[in-house]
Amino acid sequence: MKHSTMRLSTETMNLDFVKKVEALSGSSVRRCFQCGKCSAGCPMRSFMEHPPNRIVRFLQLGQYERVLAGRSIWYCASCETCTTRCPNKVDLAAIMDALRKCSWDAKGPSKESYVQLANRLFIDNIRTYGRQYEMRLAAVFNVKSGQFLKDLMLGPKLITRGKLKVFHQKNRNMAEIEQIFKRIEEMRKKGEAP
Amino acid sequence: MTPAKKLLSYSYYPGCSLHASAKEYDESTRGLFKALGIGLKEVPDWLCCGATPAHNVDELLSLSLCAKNLSLAEGVEGDLAVACAACFSRLKVTQHHLADNETKRKQVEYAIAGAVNLQKPVKHLLEILAKDFGLDRLTEAVQKPLSGLKVACYYGCLLTRPPEVPELDCVEAPTIMERVIGAVGAETVRWSHRMECCGANFTLSRPGVVLKLSGSILDSAKAAGADCLMVACPLCHGNLDIRQKEIEEATGERFGMPVFYMTQLLALAVGVAPGKLGFDSMIVNPLPLLKEKGLV
Ligand code: SF4
Ligand code: SF4
Repeated sequence: MKHSTMRLSTETMNLDFVKKVEALSGSSVRRCFQCGKCSAGCPMRSFMEHPPNRIVRFLQLGQYERVLAGRSIWYCASCETCTTRCPNKVDLAAIMDALRKCSWDAKGPSKESYVQLANRLFIDNIRTYGRQYEMRLAAVFNVKSGQFLKDLMLGPKLITRGKLKVFHQKNRNMAEIEQIFKRIEEMRKKGEAP
Repeated sequence: MTPAKKLLSYSYYPGCSLHASAKEYDESTRGLFKALGIGLKEVPDWLCCGATPAHNVDELLSLSLCAKNLSLAEGVEGDLAVACAACFSRLKVTQHHLADNETKRKQVEYAIAGAVNLQKPVKHLLEILAKDFGLDRLTEAVQKPLSGLKVACYYGCLLTRPPEVPELDCVEAPTIMERVIGAVGAETVRWSHRMECCGANFTLSRPGVVLKLSGSILDSAKAAGADCLMVACPLCHGNLDIRQKEIEEATGERFGMPVFYMTQLLALAVGVAPGKLGFDSMIVNPLPLLKEKGLV
């Protein structure tokens, strides 16, 4: 490396954003001393452009925009290995959740659209039916992502094995479930919840 | 069973997969509990726990969905039994987070228009069998020991991690699965990938991830000399069983490794009829292996 000193201070850091992530995740960002243990155990490391420890470093350096715009955060599998092993009790899995939320809420220019589409459809399913129906989830995903032939060979096999429910009903308590979504939206509108 | 022993009875949260792609996990859980004389009563009108997609982008929604389920579970007596490792994790995380974060708890209470049930013990099936029921009693109940069956116990990510949350067993080197299946006579192999991620819900969005990660798991189990894998999570099961053929095509390697839910093997050992354990729902056919070992 050419630069011999790297200065971390509240100015280089963009403290506002770091504080937001810390509040959302309940974990310190500043405590990380870059030992790299999180990345050493991360199963998704090879799919990420930036490994987990570097993501924390970017936050410490105030370069959060590249984190939010990139695809690494969407390639985290939430396996909790990093959180389990961090010697400084940095809850990196929770920080990943917080970063995805920031990117999601900003409807920003993240490069990873498939994972976001799958998440959205999954959550929509809960609001519409109360439970997941895997067949519907997969079918709608394939149509919306333009991959009509994806897993085509798997479908019939799964149906004959009784693994996919073709018919399904809504929960009886759909009104209560809708209330949960509505009340969360209402709190957010009033600025009472993140 | 002697009447002096206390009768165990649980409320039950099956989760979405157990009503669809993992119905053999549900059937074998019910079969096993019935054979052991343990009561199991499904929570009415339970809803999706939100799993990974919800907490990935919306923690408040995830906590609220789980809190709603915990409050529905209040209506059914007994500790809450959970089979799916992901549902188990989400319900435990919710109780853990909301116990010491008043701000979040108030938001969740507003969302579900009620109090959060932090008291109800949430227990994975493994914990019920190993701790509440007891391994000695499990051994006593065996009618068909699984001797000679070499099992690779696969924990996946969420049964034990993160620290202080599920508190099922040691976070890095658990043995509960080996102890439970060992109690019914199976042999367990020592292997490297017991807790490596299978690729989880990337199965929908980025299946290439699953081919790679689940491929290494199958590889490692095979190298250790296992006859089969045993899991406690429908998503892991889907990745290792349903996608196994594709993994074989991608890697050129042949595994032919049946992937059982823990309850299928346990129920078989305590004498539940094989026809009731959903072996025909599995993509990698387990019957040749079970026949070879004299188990069906
Ligand atoms: S393990 Fe913890 S301290 Fe080490 S680099 Fe990762 S987040 Fe930082
Ligand atoms: S939780 Fe995400 S970042 Fe952490 S080890 Fe797992 S995949 Fe990597």
